[in-house]
Amino acid sequence: MARPKALLFKFPGTNADTETDRALRLAGFETDVQPIAVIDPLRLGDYRLLVFSGGFSYGDYVMAGRLAQLEIERRLGTAIRDFHQAGGHLLGICNGFQILSKIGILPPASLIANVSGRFVCRWVPLQRMARENPFLSGLPDEFELPVAHAEGRLVTPAPEDAEGYLRDGLAALTYRENFNGSIAAIAGLQDASGRALGLMPHPERFIDRHQHYDRDWSAADHGWGHYLFQSIYQRLAESA
Amino acid sequence: MSEAPSFHRIPVRHLSGSDLLALSKRMKLSLSEEDMLAVQRIYLEWDREPTDVELEVIAQTWSEHCKHRIFGARIEHVRDGVAETVDGLFRTFVREVSEEIMAAKPGFVLSAFHDNAGFICLDENLAVCLKAETHNHPSAIEPYAGSNTGLGGVIRDILGAGQGAKPIGSLDVFCFGYPDTDPAEIKGEDVIHPRGILRGVVRGVRDYGNRMGIPTVAGAIQFDPAYLYNPLVYCGTAGVIPRWAIGKKVEAGHLVIAVGGRTGRDGLKGATFSSAALDDTSHVEDQQAVQIGNPIEEKKVSDFLLAARDARLIEFVTDCGAGGFSSAAGEMLSDCGGTIWLERAPLKEEGLVSWEIFISESQERMVLAVKEESMPELRRLAGMYETELCVLGEADGSGVLKVSHHGTEVCRLDNSSLHEAPRQHRRANWTTPAFGAEPDLSGLDLAGTLKALLGDFAVCSREPIIREYDHEVQGNTVLKPLAGGREDAPQDGAVLRIDGSHQLLAIGLSILPEWGKTDPEAMGLAVVDECFRQLVCIGANPDRIALLDNFCMGNPNDERELGALVETCRGMATAARAYAAPFVSGKDSFYNYFEVDGQSISIPVTLLLSGMGIVESLEHVTGSTIRRTDSVLLLLGQSSRDLGGSVLARHLQLGTLRVPRPDLQLNLALYRVLHGAIRDGLVLSAHDVSEGGLGVTLAEMAFGEKADIEVESGLTAFDLFNESPGQIVLEVPVAARDEVLARFKGLPARAIGKTRSGAGRLRIGDELDEPVSSLKAIWKAPLAAHY
Repeated sequence: MARPKALLFKFPGTNADTETDRALRLAGFETDVQPIAVIDPLRLGDYRLLVFSGGFSYGDYVMAGRLAQLEIERRLGTAIRDFHQAGGHLLGICNGFQILSKIGILPPASLIANVSGRFVCRWVPLQRMARENPFLSGLPDEFELPVAHAEGRLVTPAPEDAEGYLRDGLAALTYRENFNGSIAAIAGLQDASGRALGLMPHPERFIDRHQHYDRDWSAADHGWGHYLFQSIYQRLAESA
Repeated sequence: MSEAPSFHRIPVRHLSGSDLLALSKRMKLSLSEEDMLAVQRIYLEWDREPTDVELEVIAQTWSEHCKHRIFGARIEHVRDGVAETVDGLFRTFVREVSEEIMAAKPGFVLSAFHDNAGFICLDENLAVCLKAETHNHPSAIEPYAGSNTGLGGVIRDILGAGQGAKPIGSLDVFCFGYPDTDPAEIKGEDVIHPRGILRGVVRGVRDYGNRMGIPTVAGAIQFDPAYLYNPLVYCGTAGVIPRWAIGKKVEAGHLVIAVGGRTGRDGLKGATFSSAALDDTSHVEDQQAVQIGNPIEEKKVSDFLLAARDARLIEFVTDCGAGGFSSAAGEMLSDCGGTIWLERAPLKEEGLVSWEIFISESQERMVLAVKEESMPELRRLAGMYETELCVLGEADGSGVLKVSHHGTEVCRLDNSSLHEAPRQHRRANWTTPAFGAEPDLSGLDLAGTLKALLGDFAVCSREPIIREYDHEVQGNTVLKPLAGGREDAPQDGAVLRIDGSHQLLAIGLSILPEWGKTDPEAMGLAVVDECFRQLVCIGANPDRIALLDNFCMGNPNDERELGALVETCRGMATAARAYAAPFVSGKDSFYNYFEVDGQSISIPVTLLLSGMGIVESLEHVTGSTIRRTDSVLLLLGQSSRDLGGSVLARHLQLGTLRVPRPDLQLNLALYRVLHGAIRDGLVLSAHDVSEGGLGVTLAEMAFGEKADIEVESGLTAFDLFNESPGQIVLEVPVAARDEVLARFKGLPARAIGKTRSGAGRLRIGDELDEPVSSLKAIWKAPLAAHY
């Protein structure tokens, strides 16, 4: 059986592709990392998972992810939406979450400047809300990951939308310390099918215990982030 | 668009010395009368007049910024009445020391001094490098843009080292006036308040480093009124390279290509600007010397360059830094010779004259030498990573640098005549000041003093700044700037994993300008010791440590200031030799003084000593905070009653006191035994005693919030607050206590306390018993109020 393949999008300014690629391969994926300039919309069907990793696509000088969205539409048309509707899985991390939100794969939301007005690099405790989500199924209800962003405060078109996301299980992940002021402390959103997940925290930065700030964190080999990649790998490998 | 070259011939052959100097000033060449006379001799010999392009190239090439002429000068130095001749600071105190050490450690240093950064061996396949630069003058005028491009520039140094190294971590070190300076105290128009400098500079570093995806992992800030007018901004970056890619060579027939950003009027004359003093007109007149940064442009160049390197398409690469194309092409074609066609450079705007194109320091440009047959693949990669590429010139083996603009030769220089700038002769002196008597500290309130020191700007937490830097990107930061049980306790340095290796890179740094004010030689000794000690504490092998020296000073024409520099270099060299730690890169920045109201205000001689060390296993990585509730605490090293330079001395205003000096042989013996204990898994945590002394060290170890600390009674104020180099506190398992102490037999090492479970308290004998949380709150407050 062929191992599931993942395609990692690289925009000018994408900078977490190396470690995200490393995390995907450790989980078992075969991977391609491709700059947006050479991605062929007709070949997306070769992949089971499309990944948008962290960074600052096009500098994020206008709203984060906005230029990447326009470039995706210009170069790929509807290919990503078609991939999604045909049953494909998508993962957006940090800037990738911002991009997935912009291209309309995820429930309507924007990621705007943190309440502090600052870039924040720290670790944060998280709450898994969507137990069935194929990316989160292997994680416990409470875990910890690093964050590093200036624009991670999730807002919804109307305040009551956030309650709906919580009720409908679309708010897949929440902060247990709402450091950036996100509405309903939402840290990650999924689409209705669960096949697309966007999250601000960085699972690729906590693949093994040596990446934790506390030397005595655990005797486990793997960090929490690994279980996210492993969960989706197992789901895709089983359904191959 | 103009199709004609735009240059002038400038007659110099018949000018007098004073007219030549006037010409230099008018053109802002920053060349002395002696330099201009040397230029005149060259053109008399060539029997023609120079073009403006040639004069600009010579000015850039001979600038202090590019040529480090003061470090090459012959100095007649008098120390306490004893005269000596220093035959070049660089040769005497850097190169010779390093060459000796390199000869004794074959295979360790793989490249030093001649490339953009020096490389040391990581393992059989990979090498690592570190480079630090200053961007002081630009940061004084435009703090955000100045530090932004400072970091961008040093990242390009790494990209331009060997055939292109991958940047893997950055450091930033700042020296500022106090953030609570009364604005009324600041003289001179448009001088930016230290708080404005602090905020702008941090954000500049943040926005370049974070966008490039290079973790900013180490740093320091010094606050001192002496930096009010001349803030210092050091930016450093480490890189990794496959060993096969270290060598580089330009040969006849290679094409010279430029990659990345376009060329514009921004950043004209940065090299000569930074080789002169600031005054109160600088803020208006020198604006065009400060460049604008675009990190995404550089990220695209970086992606392109590393892909091209791995495809073995690069023969030579260097960055466009100070002097722009003129110094990059000059460096590239200095031996081989060749032609540059200026009209081929993509421009940001029309109408640039020839010399502007050639010396513009517009950011995010790299210059490569490549084989012609590599061009199709290079063009494909440039398209893939969306960066602009142009063929700028060709190497021809003539040994002559020719620059052509629309078919006309605007510059023709035999590079061999340029390498020899006239050697400077300088005078320096240093008189050891009279030190005050040992102070009486018998009545000092130890608890109150410890709290005061924790809340001092010299010691307080840097967390508000560290949080703004992405120190985790790339996923390899295993010892982070903040760690411990709550991710907020300071560490002695950073350790980075390296993709493709089991060995790791440790980064440490030390800067102690306060020491140098009274005893610059002691400062030189101490910074090497502290940096080396940090690296060993975090797990590096003491035999595999290399150093960088980055100097800043005020006016080199002031004999006393230059004397302080000589003494600093002497101390630094003595310690490096004793520890067998070679220098592999360095840089210097002069003229950090400010003229206002007829007064000249200089910074103290400031030496940033940074270092890289190899950590041979993940298991050797050692943090600085307490990990267990039943450990023993050992104190290594010799305490001293000399408080000169200490935070306590500043806090109590104790005047000029003797500055402590390390016993280098003793300390090295300690560090070797410590490393053995770390290798054998006997050490839980280790923290060096530095600013604030042992009291602060113990508090910081407790900030991990995993255990209470109980230290024996009988420690005096001298014991708790002296900063004598060589002291380290170790946490060892109780079962290993005797074994570890036996290993240190004959060396200064003793048990001073233990850890235990409790409510989170630090106890020092009967003198001090404080909740860690309240000490931590004091330590966290000062900077948070200003940043």
